[in-house]
Amino acid sequence: MTIASARDRRVSTGIGQRSEALAAYAFIAIPMLLFLVLNIGSILYALFISVFQWNIRSGAGAFIGIANYQNVFKDPIFIRAIQNSVYYAIVWVPLTMAVGLFLAVLVNQKLRGRTFFRAAFYFPAIASSAAVTVLWIFLAQPDGLFNGIRGALGLNPIFQLFGFAPNQNWIGDSHTALNSVILLNAWTTSGTFMLFYLASLQTIPGEVYEAAAIDGAGSWQMFWRITFPLLKPGHYFVATVAVIGALQLFDQARIAGGTTGDPANALMSVVLYLYNLAFFKFDFDRAAAVGLILFAIILTLTLIQRRLFGSAPSW
Amino acid sequence: MTGTDRSPMPGGATPGGTVAGVTTLRSGDALAGAAPVVRRVGDTGAHWRRRIAYAVMIAYGILMFVPFAWSVITSFKTQADSVNLSVIPQPVTTEGWTYLFERLDPSLLRLFANSFGIALTVTLSNLVLASLAGYAFARLRFPGREALFLIVLATLMIPDQLRLVPVYLLLNLIGLTRGPLEYLGVVLVMAVMGTNVFLMRQYFLSIPRDIEEAARIDGAGFFTTFWRVMLPLATPALSAVAILQFQGTWNAFFWPLVLLERQYFTIPIALTFFRTEFQTNWPPLMAMVVLATIPILILYVFFQRYFVEGIAASGVKG
Repeated sequence: MTIASARDRRVSTGIGQRSEALAAYAFIAIPMLLFLVLNIGSILYALFISVFQWNIRSGAGAFIGIANYQNVFKDPIFIRAIQNSVYYAIVWVPLTMAVGLFLAVLVNQKLRGRTFFRAAFYFPAIASSAAVTVLWIFLAQPDGLFNGIRGALGLNPIFQLFGFAPNQNWIGDSHTALNSVILLNAWTTSGTFMLFYLASLQTIPGEVYEAAAIDGAGSWQMFWRITFPLLKPGHYFVATVAVIGALQLFDQARIAGGTTGDPANALMSVVLYLYNLAFFKFDFDRAAAVGLILFAIILTLTLIQRRLFGSAPSW
Repeated sequence: MTGTDRSPMPGGATPGGTVAGVTTLRSGDALAGAAPVVRRVGDTGAHWRRRIAYAVMIAYGILMFVPFAWSVITSFKTQADSVNLSVIPQPVTTEGWTYLFERLDPSLLRLFANSFGIALTVTLSNLVLASLAGYAFARLRFPGREALFLIVLATLMIPDQLRLVPVYLLLNLIGLTRGPLEYLGVVLVMAVMGTNVFLMRQYFLSIPRDIEEAARIDGAGFFTTFWRVMLPLATPALSAVAILQFQGTWNAFFWPLVLLERQYFTIPIALTFFRTEFQTNWPPLMAMVVLATIPILILYVFFQRYFVEGIAASGVKG
């Protein structure tokens, strides 16, 4: 074909190759500069800052090696922040994945109006996190809608069993604050996970189900024996995204708990801790160290997950 | 996700997705096909299953809807009435709304202008830079291509918060943390997102080569081929990038919070103004929630397809 030979000719001439490469570098110059400076450069710079005494006013000070890392781990509030973030991840990730998968299977059926329901379930995910959080705080306050509705429905005795007062202050009480934020984020993000799972469900060929139906499998069996295992790459993808997101909890904690993660540090997340160090205590060195610790945790978990689930075929 | 500026698309954080991912952008309703419902003859259970499915969907739909509806209702209440559970405000008042228009510092208009300005600039810059880079990575051959693309993918793994201190110091160094130049600082940090480069690259890979080869033979240069031939073909991907990036930037909380001074604040940050230690002024705050949500709602109603398929595109490879 003429086209193929034309391409071959271009490849074989050094000048064509060189001009193509030059054009390519021009195309990627600005984006790559930004990526290299603001991302890769940032990590290296953070590494550098974290081994010095570094304060916003004094700038770079003495080299102190890993002292910043050691100091951070000696701070009980940092330990609390780690505990909170880990607890958040352990509860929020499976919960939101389960709800997302449930919704995906639900709206994947051939039902009238499913496009509408998909759109509705996804909407909280695209609304502003700040707006959704203040809305949630409003609903969860002692005389808010949530307590009002459960009272009206006569559910208070059940809540009483678990030790919740009729006017429970869900976000203001250190025992329920983090769980309330977990529910809030499950509510918003399950829609995103629904879409991820929907895309993954589409990759399962219909014949698999037809064969199973002929063998007399019920829909419950079909889900657990066929759908769930075949979604493995989907699980892996969603879990990875979810864990990375969970460890970066910030907006909701900052808005509901202020800069100190109130009440009683119940909402102090690792990122909120970092933010506090940098912008209220001006300890840039320790803040950089916390950022690197967080990055190391995320990287490790991602690799473990990859090991656990096996790598997806397209990776 | 929870802490990122680009909440709907953390999924872009995936090295090397398949082309299939982005081709879904082109089909009208990519998600509609192949629903795994196998109907058996004489199955009365299916009838009930359907009813239960509807009941669950409607119940969950209400759960999605009620909080937003409640914010609209509350915005027309008085502060004293805001803690009552009446569906109809008693009395109906626009005090909350007038508070927004008259008492905010910076003014509501300024907040909106800040938000729109930043969101539009960031969206435009992502469209230009991500399509340029995406095209080069998809179609042009050059030394170091694989390694550089790996760097783009690696940026998706780096938490924003790790970058906080270095980026702040860097912007401070070049004078972008003072005065109106703070806008530029925020824009620079979000000027090109790895997810968008990834999305554009995947889309360009799905376009048949013959089309651009023909243009090249006609003597078009690399940029002309890109600009006149390939870019118009990539409209669906550009739309997805534009809409998702606008939404992500409009909602962005972290970078605007840390890089901007009060007069340059955006709408999401203004939402933190209303709470004091002792009292929260609920009706204006709820009015603000409504205002912060409306632009996104409008975008969603008109371009829902791009939201859904853009997300699906980043997720399908899994």
